[in-house]
Amino acid sequence: MTTEVLRTENLSRSFGGVQAVAGVSLTLHAGAVTALVGPNGAGKTTTFNLITGNLRADSGTAAIRGKPIMGLKPWQVARLGVARSFQDLRLFTHMTVRENVLAATETASWFWQPGGSTARRAREARADAALEATGLSALARARAIDLAYAERKFLSMARILAAEADIWLLDEPASGLDLASRTRFGQLLKDAQARGVAICLIEHNLDVVVELSNRIAFLDQGKVLAEGDPDAILKDPALAAIYFGDRPQEAA
Amino acid sequence: MIAYAANLATIVAIFAILAATLNFIVGYAGIFSVAHAVFFGLGAYAGAQVALLLIPDPLLACLAGAVVAGGLSLCLALPALRVRGEYFVAASMGLQMMAVTLFSEAKPLTGGIGGLVNIPRPTLFGVEVSVLPLALVALALILLATALLQRGAFGRTLQALRDAESAAEALGKNVAAAKTLAMAFACAGAGIGGALFALHLSFVNVESFTMDQSVLVMAMVIIGGTGTLWGPLVGAIILLSLPSGLAFIPFIPPTEVGAVQQIVYGLAMTLLMIFRPAGLVGDLSKGRATA
Repeated sequence: MTTEVLRTENLSRSFGGVQAVAGVSLTLHAGAVTALVGPNGAGKTTTFNLITGNLRADSGTAAIRGKPIMGLKPWQVARLGVARSFQDLRLFTHMTVRENVLAATETASWFWQPGGSTARRAREARADAALEATGLSALARARAIDLAYAERKFLSMARILAAEADIWLLDEPASGLDLASRTRFGQLLKDAQARGVAICLIEHNLDVVVELSNRIAFLDQGKVLAEGDPDAILKDPALAAIYFGDRPQEAA
Repeated sequence: MIAYAANLATIVAIFAILAATLNFIVGYAGIFSVAHAVFFGLGAYAGAQVALLLIPDPLLACLAGAVVAGGLSLCLALPALRVRGEYFVAASMGLQMMAVTLFSEAKPLTGGIGGLVNIPRPTLFGVEVSVLPLALVALALILLATALLQRGAFGRTLQALRDAESAAEALGKNVAAAKTLAMAFACAGAGIGGALFALHLSFVNVESFTMDQSVLVMAMVIIGGTGTLWGPLVGAIILLSLPSGLAFIPFIPPTEVGAVQQIVYGLAMTLLMIFRPAGLVGDLSKGRATA
């Protein structure tokens, strides 16, 4: 059994009368990919936001390697080794590609970073390695705003790579990618997985889910309806009906 | 004529300090403050009091101005940590209005509406000095510090906050600390400008620290080019030289110079926003890597 790195228990959050997340319990393991699957509005991104501190949970707990993270700010959670991507990417659009990635290696908020020139060179090497791994080296001096869509996606991944986090929360990272780009993206994830990174993936492309994930948690209306082996979950006709919008009518 | 030119150059240098420091938070961090004149005023009053009560040492006055304005920048940092965009503009506007009232009423500190008068001429080691070289040195140091910070990790942090605050935070950047530091730097710089202003004029009152002044400094930044090193300097030169230039045009009656100046300002701003929205210097540096 691989090491447990992140655990949530009964995470809940409502917005007004809408229960967006209702008692979600998840466990992420080092070197494993867990996919969060479910229809739109199932509470997948909200679950990410609760883990990363972007939203406060109404109830429930979350811990990284046993350390409680509820109430921490997003930057504090990030410094515990959690990196996330966003559906809308949120690149630093007016910075160059290399600056985007360098920024991911610089977490100190003081006027300068600790460690002097040795640490600076190490950060630059990390950034350059991340650019190399994502195939963006040739675009290092281009501004993020000028990149094509797939390149932007890979820049988002390069920032995560450079951050050297060991828990990745990826929100629809493969959406809109062509087959070749998807293959490159899949290889990035497999390499990270081999290094022991725990990955949680929100993805609507079920081919990607089947290819990359070891485990699926199926969410609907804020609840985990099922969790387990990808084949078993995706072949469940009741879950398929929910996913494709053919929801059974509730009894009156 | 030389005295006139030296006076104009001193005022330009002081306002270039204000514009450069405002640009640091507007252009790099995306914090649109319309309360920069407040910190200019705080520095001016602090510098003036040092000169009046202790010694007219410009370095001590500048230090006092920087410490008071930089310290009280928390008044601006607190709303900036809670609200963004137009909401922050409104919050800073409120701070500006409150500060003008406080400056007018706190007579023991500010002299009230009448202001502080008879501020002694600055002396260094017992020798009277002109404010112009001091202002130029201060401006050069602030531009140098800005360039170094902007090209380094702190500059990248500020630009990351400007472009996507939540993504920056998700990468481990302490947004509150970075914004507070940026504002302390910018406001301390404005405080230095204020101290030099008080020593230069030998008189300060609240009229120099109103919303109009904040808007004028913002206009310098926008016209010159936000997020550029030299843009604020160019903006300060243009906006302060314009009234002087108009005064020398023979067919404009002296009584109408103010009105013509407003028309020229308005026309220039409109044309600029249409043809060079990034400012006069902005387009030149667009797309250049700073890593």
